[in-house]
Amino acid sequence: MTMILQKMANSSSLWLKADGPEAGIVFSCRVRLARNLENFTFPPWAKDSVMKEASEKIIEAVSKSDYLKQAELIDMNELSSTQRRFLLERHLISVEFTEGGNYRFLVVEKGEMLSLMINEEDHLRLQVILSGLQLMEAWRLSDRVDDQLEENLNYAFLPQWGYLTACPTNVGTGMRASSMLHLPALTTTHKIGDILKSISKLGLVARGLYGEGTKSEGDFFQISNQVTLGLKEEEIVDNVERVTRQVVEQEKKARQVLFKRNKTQLTDEMGRAYGVLINAHLMSSKEAINLLSKLRLGVYLDLLPGFSIRVLNELFFLITPAQLQIKEGKELSPFSRDELRAKVIREKLSSLK
Amino acid sequence: MLCQICGKREATFHFKEVINAEERELHLCEVCAKGKGLSESFFIPSFSLSNLMAGLTEFEIPPSQEIRARCPHCGLDYAQIRKKGKIGCLLCYQTFKDYLAVLLEKIQGKAYHSGKVPRKGKLESKEQRQIYKLRKDLEEAVRKEEYEKAAQLRDEIRGLE
Ligand SMILES: [Zn+2]
Ligand SMILES: [Zn+2]
Repeated sequence: MTMILQKMANSSSLWLKADGPEAGIVFSCRVRLARNLENFTFPPWAKDSVMKEASEKIIEAVSKSDYLKQAELIDMNELSSTQRRFLLERHLISVEFTEGGNYRFLVVEKGEMLSLMINEEDHLRLQVILSGLQLMEAWRLSDRVDDQLEENLNYAFLPQWGYLTACPTNVGTGMRASSMLHLPALTTTHKIGDILKSISKLGLVARGLYGEGTKSEGDFFQISNQVTLGLKEEEIVDNVERVTRQVVEQEKKARQVLFKRNKTQLTDEMGRAYGVLINAHLMSSKEAINLLSKLRLGVYLDLLPGFSIRVLNELFFLITPAQLQIKEGKELSPFSRDELRAKVIREKLSSLK
Repeated sequence: MLCQICGKREATFHFKEVINAEERELHLCEVCAKGKGLSESFFIPSFSLSNLMAGLTEFEIPPSQEIRARCPHCGLDYAQIRKKGKIGCLLCYQTFKDYLAVLLEKIQGKAYHSGKVPRKGKLESKEQRQIYKLRKDLEEAVRKEEYEKAAQLRDEIRGLE
């Protein structure tokens, strides 16, 4: 198990490659499908014996799927909490899964664009993550994998309510479609609050980590569908994609305005961010995310020759706490992590020169 | 600003979620954020503030009503489902369908499934599903006053029945 994770830690997820549409602003997009087995009690209420049998059935179906037969099967119970944390940081498992538990598995395909959690809140949680804004592609892939799995599984389904889930917020399509956006210009110009509010009136959910006052902290936001029942999957995808596109356009405009008005100031900020990153010997997560976010904007505006969005995308994930520890092969104190994080960043940035 | 969980330490972690123009914010200190699996991380997509904070009031039924029924498959009664906020199995959905219909309407709006239908499953139910889906399309065609399409759908349904 340790070997598999070590291997993962040494390579980056394919969806970080920034080769998708609008990847300068849309970090990634994701489709998740929730499914349960017909004759089995759902995981929140199931006995161990039921969870065991359900997991066996699903693992068998997985092994017969062309899409997943090469995938790794990872048992949550065989992992340390740092190892589970590592999978969370890579967006492969949920917070709930980091608690471990019997008969809980992650199935993950090479490249990490396709993965599956077994016995999370629902028996099956299928996930596709792609670079940039290509949600329809993500849906089509998850649809095909779902079809293949279904050839060997009977899903809990009722005509009026669709796919049945443990939580009523997922019933129907069982689908959550989302995009993760990098919106530094809308954040800096304080337009983000109103935009998030108007998005939420369209039946979508907007969420984000944000800083206090003017201090930005990464400037990342997520848009996803709220309702899962009553719409076709394509309609849900279309809604999220359309609204995401609108926000992307607004961010583009805001970036151009920033650039025109304050080119010197922006260039100064980029230079300072770069200067700190390439010279620091202690770097907290927060500071790193904040500075890398600035560089990411700089690359988009061509203020940082030699850099690519891809390198920055990968850096965000190379410096998360569990990633650092898995790669190092041991537990590290927060101080040692800050030290190692600074080193990883310095090495990566100097290699770009 | 102090942490919303412990109320002692300074909040350094800020999270915002907007649903239906309603903002929810969560401000946590490093320690509590870590306890929730949220600290030091670069964006966690599966995390939902409403799941974390919202009560399960949606599951409420009028207090005068007492539901005696138990799900014949998993043995749960409605009080247990309400307490945990999680449904037990397919038969729960059928056993408590009147209450769940009210609940689903609150969460999802008045709606029926119109998305994907499992291809396989039992043959008879697959046909039933097909007929159901055609009926839905028919309703919609009538609503949109597409009578030609409606007539076509009607024939198709008759053919299957
Ligand atoms: Zn606290
Ligand atoms: Zn039940």
